[in-house]
Amino acid sequence: MAVPASVKTALRVAQVLESIVSRCLGPDGRQVLCTKPTGEVLLSRDGGRLLAALHLEHPIARMIVACVSSHLKQTGDGAKTFIIFLCHLLRGLHAITGKEKDSLSIGTMQTLERHWKNSCQWKFISQALLTFQTQILDYTMDHCLSKHFLSIFSSSAKDKTLCGGSLELLLGAYFCGRVGRNNHKFISKLMCDYFFKCMTYESGVELFELVDDCFVELNVGVTGLPVSDSRIVDGLVLHRDFSVYCPAEGDIRMVIVKEIIQPLFSTSRSEFMLNSEAQFQTSQFWIIEKTKAIMTQLHSQNVKLLLSSVKQPDLVIYYARVSGISVVECLSSEEISLIWRIIGLTPCELPQTSSQCEISNTALVKFCKPLILRSKRYIHLGLISTCTFIPHSIVLCGPVLGLVEQHESALHGALKMLRQLYIDLDLNYVIQASDQNGRSNPLTYKNSQKSNQLPEISNDSIFRSYQDVVKTKDVCENLVVSDVELEANIPCSIPEVAPRDTFQTNKAQRCLSPEKNKIMDDSELFANSTDKSTTENTRIEISYENLQVTEIPRKGNLLPLRSKSLDICYHSSSVPAGCVLPVGGSFEILLHYYLLNYAKKCQQSEETIVITLIANALLSIPQTLYKSKKGNNSFPQIYLSSIHALQTHQPMVSSQVGLESVTGKYQLLTSVLQCLAKILTIDLIISVRRQPQKNCDQDSEDEL
Amino acid sequence: MSRLETKKPSLCKSEPLTSESVRATLAVLKEIVTSCYGPSGRLKQLHNGLGGYVCTTSQSSALLRNLPVTHPILKILTTAVQNHVLCSRDCGLFTAILCCNLIENVQRMDLTPTTVIKLNKHLLSLCTSYLKSEACGCRISVDFSSTQIPLSLTHSIITSKPACMLTRKEVEHISTLILRAFLLTIPESTEDPVILGQSIIVPGKGQRVTDSTVLPGILIDMSEVQLRRLLPIQKPHALKVALFCISLSGDFSDTGEGTLVVPSGVSLENAALDQLLNLGRQLVSDHVDLVLCQKVLHPSLKQFLSSHGIIAIDRLGVTLMESLSKVTGTQPIGSLGSVSPSSYGSVKEVSSTQFGSKHFFHLIPDKATVCSLLLCSRNDTAWDELKLACQTALHALQLTIKEPWVLLGGGCTETHLAAYIRNKTHSEAESILKDCGCTQAELQLMTKAFCSALESPACSLEHDGGEILTDMKYGHFWSVQAESPSVSNWSDLLSRCGCGLLSSQEQLGWSFLRSRHPPFAPPTYLPRADVGLAAVDSASSLTVDCLTAKLNGLQVAIETANLILDLSYIIEDKN
Repeated sequence: MAVPASVKTALRVAQVLESIVSRCLGPDGRQVLCTKPTGEVLLSRDGGRLLAALHLEHPIARMIVACVSSHLKQTGDGAKTFIIFLCHLLRGLHAITGKEKDSLSIGTMQTLERHWKNSCQWKFISQALLTFQTQILDYTMDHCLSKHFLSIFSSSAKDKTLCGGSLELLLGAYFCGRVGRNNHKFISKLMCDYFFKCMTYESGVELFELVDDCFVELNVGVTGLPVSDSRIVDGLVLHRDFSVYCPAEGDIRMVIVKEIIQPLFSTSRSEFMLNSEAQFQTSQFWIIEKTKAIMTQLHSQNVKLLLSSVKQPDLVIYYARVSGISVVECLSSEEISLIWRIIGLTPCELPQTSSQCEISNTALVKFCKPLILRSKRYIHLGLISTCTFIPHSIVLCGPVLGLVEQHESALHGALKMLRQLYIDLDLNYVIQASDQNGRSNPLTYKNSQKSNQLPEISNDSIFRSYQDVVKTKDVCENLVVSDVELEANIPCSIPEVAPRDTFQTNKAQRCLSPEKNKIMDDSELFANSTDKSTTENTRIEISYENLQVTEIPRKGNLLPLRSKSLDICYHSSSVPAGCVLPVGGSFEILLHYYLLNYAKKCQQSEETIVITLIANALLSIPQTLYKSKKGNNSFPQIYLSSIHALQTHQPMVSSQVGLESVTGKYQLLTSVLQCLAKILTIDLIISVRRQPQKNCDQDSEDEL
Repeated sequence: MSRLETKKPSLCKSEPLTSESVRATLAVLKEIVTSCYGPSGRLKQLHNGLGGYVCTTSQSSALLRNLPVTHPILKILTTAVQNHVLCSRDCGLFTAILCCNLIENVQRMDLTPTTVIKLNKHLLSLCTSYLKSEACGCRISVDFSSTQIPLSLTHSIITSKPACMLTRKEVEHISTLILRAFLLTIPESTEDPVILGQSIIVPGKGQRVTDSTVLPGILIDMSEVQLRRLLPIQKPHALKVALFCISLSGDFSDTGEGTLVVPSGVSLENAALDQLLNLGRQLVSDHVDLVLCQKVLHPSLKQFLSSHGIIAIDRLGVTLMESLSKVTGTQPIGSLGSVSPSSYGSVKEVSSTQFGSKHFFHLIPDKATVCSLLLCSRNDTAWDELKLACQTALHALQLTIKEPWVLLGGGCTETHLAAYIRNKTHSEAESILKDCGCTQAELQLMTKAFCSALESPACSLEHDGGEILTDMKYGHFWSVQAESPSVSNWSDLLSRCGCGLLSSQEQLGWSFLRSRHPPFAPPTYLPRADVGLAAVDSASSLTVDCLTAKLNGLQVAIETANLILDLSYIIEDKN
């Protein structure tokens, strides 16, 4: 069965998801209990986990969930915001062309045809979205938002020293959205302490990488104790008990082995001939003596701890005990690699032939003792680190396993977030400027008081500008605007080239487009005429008029002039690592403000629609966050005061303490836009109610 | 492919606590746990219609293990209690009752979850800091040089498990035994850190409870015939022991991954046996008197050893190995070759013991910290219950030696704590309001809910329709029998408070626990602290609770309640 996909259906799906997710958002969000089919109970506030647990059936819902999870894999944060933002974008789109869409019904060929036409139109919007993402978003980030950024590093110099207070604020805000209300403060304190205990002066991003990669090995979950009993222990805790424990003092060395120490009769793919009983007895005697010799050798080298990735035979255990060597068996490869990363100790090769041989790979340990947590025994190992990470382990306690797991995954997510924060975010965008004004164009955007002017006024200026060619600054403004508009139109005229394109391909296309400019110019008329059909809406009628006005001179002499005077500059800059903004929707409000400013200068309808749409949808996040607040902390109050602060160039005041990563927010925004573009390019959902088949031949048989 | 099934979508329910069915199931669970609580608690008989044995119990560990719950919220609650019990052994029912009541009380009020959770957390921190502080008026310090308090502790724990079916005399016998068993596990040397030994509980079903006893060392269950064959060998001196952890049956493992080619005519069995006999000869020449083996001894080796006057016992099992190694001071031997002399250990004496129809081989150590507690009971279910109770008591003693404090039992701690919290929120309302950012009315409502939940375990001690009173000075728990005439002079009707520390002759003012009474400040010292505890006549022993277990229970209960109250959705995976 085929169902036409429309914004309406997508909106319906997104709204359901939003209603679930919005209750878990922010500091006032609540917990969700998930049961597994095995009967296990999971607690979560993690949007990604929640969406996965729903096992949604609707194909669009599944697509959204897939987009969310791929976003999460990259950043580890923002699943709930993703859904809310997407839902508001869809709502906005639906409102723009609501009436038209409503008339759509499934069934007859005519409506299907009309639907296809509409989907073409959606596709234009989807292209416009991607254009926005690659051009305007990066531009706004770089030119307008960057002055508001704060940094978590205490000094602006090249050595990135983490500022304690900032880290605390950052983690506090992160755990607010992840962990139950009664524990988030405690958990964020724990995490902060953990970092400051693990860090040396020169540790940087590699510390976060190591902790992130080996997080499972670095924490121990204990159930049955209150959460407040969680703590940090010095050294490494291995999740198993000693096979042999011999208390040792002073100079303790350890070795790691990866094979059975005792020599065996035969190795794989070989045969061992036993010719007599005496031979059997002597070979067994030799094995015993050999094992004993190795253990004595280890003992003489002051080795007191033997870590083994395999199970050792009783004989080895016995001689280890006799020699006073503690033995730990069955270590996982992850644990061995963690030890290697911390102290650089590699598994040693045991001397097989000569009996007396020094074992080179030994390492000193501070202590090695059993650790009892809730009557279960663990091994507590004090390693002497050779890297920038001072080993510490986290003991996570909680009354039920579900809660411990929630905290564990929240800590892991925080690590991912911090790791992302250490990476510079690259911004690339294209500015097309006329020769006369050069690169000062962005400045005119920022400084010009006319940014707030009404469309009618600029309407006049257009007339003026096209009469006396390229004289005033206003002209440049308009020129640039129309150029951008042109850019926006190009992909629309070649829809076959970019069907459901991803971010990267689109970007590549974007780079190619200047060359295509001239060719595309011819098709501009067509592009503009389609624009007319898309924008049959009362809200944008004014700009629609503008469009007609600008079209006239464009067809005339101005076109060749412009293509001559165009100078395309590629700007690439970056958001430096460690950029943060205060929590509570600062990023959204800032971006909203600057985008609206930008949109006011755009005479092109399509672009204005898209920018306004995105700018308004951005507000949904602070709106949801402040939903339950009253009085001075209610959303309208916060919004008005921050907009006022921005207009008068005063610093913004945030009612909440905490910081959040700019990179994360930016990535979230781009992921959502890509997801939306994906949804819009789909025109038909064909549902197949059959088991997936491997053979095509069988298919046809089944039909019969 | 045909087995592939599409995943069914999950079921998503919002605001689970508001649904009537959830409330009803929570109420049922509350009824079950409440009715089990205390010395006069009612027993529960759990039996599975499809088979299995019938379990009669009133203990949370047995009850919750056998009670299947399906609703996710109940699952959270019961697993939290079970995890707590696994951790502290004691105070499981207390935790469950407190948690259920708190959820129920909060549900009745119209407060936002945020405020409730914030206030709950704050009140909990008040409780824990009070119980840990020096100024706590319901805490007794434990001195292990006198047996009074430790004995009271074991006595209280055994009494609170009515399913053990013990008489008063039997309770006393068992609690003394438990204390003795515990004291035997404390090492004599005062090295740091002190490592406690262990007491092994040996079943002696079908005998009188008063036949139970404690023996130092290890009892190995054995048939009478076997025992008779082993024990004529009498040694005047201490016995030298060898303990093997490998199989001595002549089997042949660990040949490696390759193949082993044996031509016909070469008998590996003989070779292996030769090796075993060599080992036997070495044991004989080392003057070993007792050979213990975790796995199987070859019959020929056994024969050889006994012909040389060596006692050989095999098939001991892995569970006994650690204690055997501790008792004898041996290193378990894992080699068929030469045995290092340092691996041998010794025992002082071996003997045979008989309890009822059972015969035991008894290893008596020199000064090891392992003892066997032979528990007897008339029937299986009562024995199971008694065993759990003994484990609980032993664990409580271990916890108490770590943190040498006990709390007043019999409901007094709960009522006292509730009085303390009421007074605290009354007198220090401003600072709490500032910390939590809530209104005065919210604080009052929440204090009421919290304190009444705190008092609920105390109230559940009374199952026979009696009245519960509290005094207006110390805030202790007093109960009056049902049907008593309502008189103004309570001191004639009451005899002692719940914990047994106070008597009714002390001119205290009483009022009903559930009635409204003005908050009062309970004294921050122990009643009768000036007189000394010895002044409490020994006939009416004190009722005390383990501090660590109760504190953990309190924290777990409130944290779990907070967790459940914070739930906004339940997503059930129906696959």
